[in-house]
Amino acid sequence: MDVDDGTPSGRLVGVADTERRLRSDDDSRAGARGGGDRPTLGPTSRDTWAATPPPGRLGMPAGKVLTVVLVSLVVWTLLFGPELRRAADAQPLGLRRTVSLAVLAPFVWVSDVTRLSAVTDALVRAMGRDPDSPVGGGPEFPVDDLPTYTPDPGVSPSPEPEKPPVVDSPIRVPSGQDPLRVAVVGDSLAAGVGFYAERVFKPFFVDVTKQGKISTGLARPDYFNWPSALKQIGSAFQPDIVIVMLGENDNQSLLDPGGRLETQIGTGSWPPAYEERVERFAKIATKAGAHVIWVGLPVERDESRWVFIERQNAIYEAVADRLPNVAYLDSWNLFSKPDGGYTAYFRDGDRVELVREDDGVHFTGTGYTILMEHVARLATDAFQLHEKTYDG
Amino acid sequence: MLVRPSVGVPWDSIRAVLFPTTDFAIFFVLVFLGHWLLNHEARSWKAFMLLASYVFYGWWDPRYVALLMAVSAIAQVGAIAVAKQQDDRRRMRVLAIAVAATIAPLLYFKYYGFFAVNATNATSALGLGWTPPLIQVVLPVGISFYTFMAISYVVDVHRRRFDVASWTDVFLYLAFFPHLVAGPIVRPDELIPQLDVRRDQRHLDFANAAWLILGGLFKKVVISSYLSTAIVEPVFGDPSRHSALEALVGVWGFAVVIYADFSGYTDIAIGIAQLLGFRFPQNFDRPYTAVSIQDFWRRWHMTLSRWLRDYLYIPLGGNRKGMRRTYVNLMITMTLGGLWHGAAWTFVVWGILHGGFLVIGQWKREQREAGVLAEPPATASTVWLQRLAAFHLVCLGWVFFRADSIGTAFDLLGRLVTGWTTPTELVTPLVLLAIAIGIGTQYVPRAPAEALKDLVARTKPVPLGIGVAFVLFVITTLGPQGVAPFIYFQF
Repeated sequence: MDVDDGTPSGRLVGVADTERRLRSDDDSRAGARGGGDRPTLGPTSRDTWAATPPPGRLGMPAGKVLTVVLVSLVVWTLLFGPELRRAADAQPLGLRRTVSLAVLAPFVWVSDVTRLSAVTDALVRAMGRDPDSPVGGGPEFPVDDLPTYTPDPGVSPSPEPEKPPVVDSPIRVPSGQDPLRVAVVGDSLAAGVGFYAERVFKPFFVDVTKQGKISTGLARPDYFNWPSALKQIGSAFQPDIVIVMLGENDNQSLLDPGGRLETQIGTGSWPPAYEERVERFAKIATKAGAHVIWVGLPVERDESRWVFIERQNAIYEAVADRLPNVAYLDSWNLFSKPDGGYTAYFRDGDRVELVREDDGVHFTGTGYTILMEHVARLATDAFQLHEKTYDG
Repeated sequence: MLVRPSVGVPWDSIRAVLFPTTDFAIFFVLVFLGHWLLNHEARSWKAFMLLASYVFYGWWDPRYVALLMAVSAIAQVGAIAVAKQQDDRRRMRVLAIAVAATIAPLLYFKYYGFFAVNATNATSALGLGWTPPLIQVVLPVGISFYTFMAISYVVDVHRRRFDVASWTDVFLYLAFFPHLVAGPIVRPDELIPQLDVRRDQRHLDFANAAWLILGGLFKKVVISSYLSTAIVEPVFGDPSRHSALEALVGVWGFAVVIYADFSGYTDIAIGIAQLLGFRFPQNFDRPYTAVSIQDFWRRWHMTLSRWLRDYLYIPLGGNRKGMRRTYVNLMITMTLGGLWHGAAWTFVVWGILHGGFLVIGQWKREQREAGVLAEPPATASTVWLQRLAAFHLVCLGWVFFRADSIGTAFDLLGRLVTGWTTPTELVTPLVLLAIAIGIGTQYVPRAPAEALKDLVARTKPVPLGIGVAFVLFVITTLGPQGVAPFIYFQF
């Protein structure tokens, strides 16, 4: 905006004055120093972006700048409205989501009525993104992670579930020609586990596919549909072992894949409903022939989350106990202090290592490595995974 | 320094109001309005901008606003105490105390954990078994930047280059939101005088500001995000599973990622400051066109390198105390500069490498001046060879900078030798294109960009706004879905 305060325009040259003064200060400073140190280290001049335009370029008054900024934000919201609405929709239920959706509603309405949304969808497609895909995306398979799997003719890649064995079965012994296939699935913690699974498992014996997706869980299939993704991973990758680590984002109401409320958080029906989702998810992996290591949530610095984490972990452990070929790793006790509290450090003999990130949730590389070594050892104890397949 | 997201830590777990978010867009419109409405009322303007800056900072964690205020107060008390001393020796002693007090919070928040782990393990190895309290100290966003700015204020007062400013000015100098999270490191004489003059609201260089902001967004949201996911994270995650070509392109990729990410962020900061009528120092000047490591440090994170020069290298004696002392000073400066980037041995190695490169460069220059070494011929091919060599020396440093441990860095370097039989899958045309854009744009002449800015400056507001919106739309569409605005899941 143009703000005319009635003062003589001559007083409005303050910045230029300052710039001149700074330049002369700088010259005198360089002179005082003899300029002798400048070439050795650091920039040779005090290059700055001036606040005012260079000679020959028109300056713009603040009012016009505000107009441009507002027009650009409004037009951008119209263009990007459908995507923004889907992203807002994927937030946890609450005030922020409600406000976001309310603010976006008129923009999306205009975008739809004017058919602008169809144009932007076409542009989005032209830029290589599917505007109809879930906000959180789907599983991705890097080419090098895929085994050369060819289903037998007449055999469905997703066979009908057989009656699960009553007892755990051993994991097959791999060879260089037929390595084990390990899929790591879950949220951002699983993303970290995936990287360190590649390091702990020996490449000669084990192929790892890293499928951790940040901001995902089992509560919001409208954002990222893990059961559907795991089915795809099962049929495409045929994993021998599925390592699951998720739940950090599940302290919220349970929605269905269409985004409709299924079970409200804080009600008595939430734990059994969530447990059903956990069980269904684990069964997808076991029915695809995989052994599951379900990694429980670790102790976190924020004590207000402990009740939630303990409830989640009890559910994961209960499901693992009653399903064959599913084992539960208690990461809480692995990384907590002797009294059960949070510590960012891990004592390994005489050495101490930092194992948790600043956020008090995620692990450092050392932490993920320790976690993965325990996953591998648990697979050996529970399912006779051959020790030659991993380090540690 | 820059926020280095570890594997598995999403950007959205960093709760500060980062620039590429819709929260910031709303915040900026409100601040822009208030800023220009109050422009002619210095006291109201300062109160408003201070409040806005604290809101910006407190969005991450309100508790740390108190820390920012505390560092500001310590610096001001220190500067006043220094200014009162007439006797030079006493003045120096007070300065030492003031600088120590100003830097103490940074030392605690950034290095305590590093010290505790290493002290425990060292004393354990020696059989002493002493363990300092193993507490995890969370590093507040931006503390490395505003601490350095606070030190430059105290030291400049000591050097009588800058008078003690008012309390409000010092608090605002350190908290001013455009530079708060990741720089540039602005010196007191560059910013504090600008707080007292009325900004000229009639002649803003919108074209240049938009160029910096949109270019910064493109670098950060499109180039950096894509290359991180497509090649850098996998290659640095487990080098042993990747081929030599993937390792090499992964390192090139990281060179582009860190440039795009960091320069993108500071470009946005400079552009935002410009829209508010402020001028900020330039922070990056086509660093990968450098012909030597000395040249690189004149172009890379320029406000840090001049800070290190003016407040560390020169006080150590600079190059005024003989050849050997110059080398030692360079090594000390760069090693401490490395440690400033992060509390880990990998950053120390990175600093030592750059110190070593600078020492060799300085030695060669002295030999040339003494006529022992011949000047290289000033042909185009020589310049390109020098650029290629400088870029790859910088890349060698980046390997240690990005790797999660020194062991991983050596694993990666080893793959460059041993990985030629491993199949290459990650080096796609799109990855190479993104790297080419990241490096190639640094070689584009400035004239076409300036002509475009002149054209933008002549465009009417509404069509200009539509044009900016379209560019924003392309950037947000090409960006990964994970950085879509409004997503505030934590993990």
